[in-house]
Amino acid sequence: MDESSILKELADAVVACDPPRAKKAAETALAEGMDPVKAINEGLVVGMGVIGDNYAERKMYLPQVLVAAHSMYEGLDVLIPAIPKDENVTAKKAITAVVQGDVHDIGKNIVKTMLTAAGFLVNDAGKDVPPATITQTMLADRAEVVCLSTLMTPTMDNMAKTLKLIGESGYRDKVVVTIGGPPTTDAFAEEIGADHRDENAQQAVKFINSKV
Amino acid sequence: MAMSCRDRVLAALKQEPLDRPPVAVFTTCDTIGMMKACGATWPEAHADPQKMATLACAQADYFGLESVRAGFCLTEEAEALGCPIDLGTPTSSPMLKGHPFTYNPMKKIYDEPDDLPDIDEFLKTGRVKTAIDAMAIMQKTHGEDYVVIGGNTGPFTLTGHLLNTENLVYSVWTEPERAQKWVGAIAPYCKAFGQAMLDNGADMVQMSEPSASTDILAPSDFPVQSGQFVKSCLGSLKGHTILHICGDSAPIIPYMLDTGVDGISVEEKVPPKKAIEIANHRGCMVGNVGCAFPLFKGKPEDVAAAAKASAEAGFNVISAGCGVPIGTPDDNIRALVKAIKG
Repeated sequence: MDESSILKELADAVVACDPPRAKKAAETALAEGMDPVKAINEGLVVGMGVIGDNYAERKMYLPQVLVAAHSMYEGLDVLIPAIPKDENVTAKKAITAVVQGDVHDIGKNIVKTMLTAAGFLVNDAGKDVPPATITQTMLADRAEVVCLSTLMTPTMDNMAKTLKLIGESGYRDKVVVTIGGPPTTDAFAEEIGADHRDENAQQAVKFINSKV
Repeated sequence: MAMSCRDRVLAALKQEPLDRPPVAVFTTCDTIGMMKACGATWPEAHADPQKMATLACAQADYFGLESVRAGFCLTEEAEALGCPIDLGTPTSSPMLKGHPFTYNPMKKIYDEPDDLPDIDEFLKTGRVKTAIDAMAIMQKTHGEDYVVIGGNTGPFTLTGHLLNTENLVYSVWTEPERAQKWVGAIAPYCKAFGQAMLDNGADMVQMSEPSASTDILAPSDFPVQSGQFVKSCLGSLKGHTILHICGDSAPIIPYMLDTGVDGISVEEKVPPKKAIEIANHRGCMVGNVGCAFPLFKGKPEDVAAAAKASAEAGFNVISAGCGVPIGTPDDNIRALVKAIKG
């Protein structure tokens, strides 16, 4: 199998929402001696980008996106361990979290997936995460990006608290902070001092890539 | 003689011509201001029928809304069916802390829906019983003047609570029949809860099915994965029924109306005029003043403008587009009411 065929197969396996096919394509890439970073960036990520664009345009919906994401992760599980350690050191770090008081994390998980597809090392802090924990995780990781999510309107206040703590940490000018979720608005992002309100995961990655 | 709030809401449900639409929140509405006014607060009001009824009636007693509605979350049924729950605090909602069933479509490890509790036992369990009991209290104290509304959770949403919503949604793509089997097995609990509230004093069941929104399911999947089961829950209930789905529900408004409900409740993500146009008088339209903005974060004049826009578009009941955030300022609730009542 030539290189372009392998890369196409990696992308196609993600678009086809076929986890075993993505895993097999990743194994083929390594067996053929392909650089794993190239297999990720020019194979799996290309496929996930197609899915993300279609999702943002409502041509695809969440069930398909979740299975495509699983396909990408199946491939990543094969390829990431093959990356020489020193190559990961330069990757940019991002934190994703659903703020305290909310456990709805599907949107956050999609952002995590698309950030991963964009080459970020994502530390997913999970759901119902206190503002102090998010801030501490950001400082410990020396993260360049923090993405906060909530589905519930009352928990929007914990986004504000998180931004306040990040501000008090002295690290605010080193990190891009975005917020997302149905109740959030551009005006709210501005009010609490976030850099951006993410309409969807694709838009989040586009904004973040323009800033870091 | 002035029309009572009850008669006004009942007329609105039938889309009868009125001098003005009623202003009433059929979705959750239990703000901190209401808790302070009536003395019944979270989290106790989630689990005590008298406190639940008192807080529900604060909607009418202190803010002039034209119906009374309980409960205040979408976790009652999930808890009664085995989900561990954190009941929250005076300012935070009850939260699911886990799922009682294994349902992992990635590893293909599944529980089957063949070991579920007896439905009669379910109706006697925990906060399901609390809500059923609260209906009797609300009917006794307010039923003469106000429509009493019992809220419940839609079958796809409740199934997601029990299994893990993300995994259920994943399986809609990989094994749709398995997903439907589970939702079909859970639907009778939703129906029984709704009927029990009606039997105990409620005039209306308002079902929320947020996990079937177009943010999650493709519109073309809605009728099969959720709509048919909502119909089995609400279509034959002996009482009034309203279906609420969050998000941009424009593509599924016709399907929502196909479920046999008296009406539907939609968010402001569907512009008011567009919602009315799509619904085409097939059911009572409830909504659609934005919750995050203007109700929670806006000014009273923003709320008034949104309420008037919904009324002018032809909404039959002027309401919040979704659950009212508990931190919503009192003045904004009053502005909602005043904009419609004058």
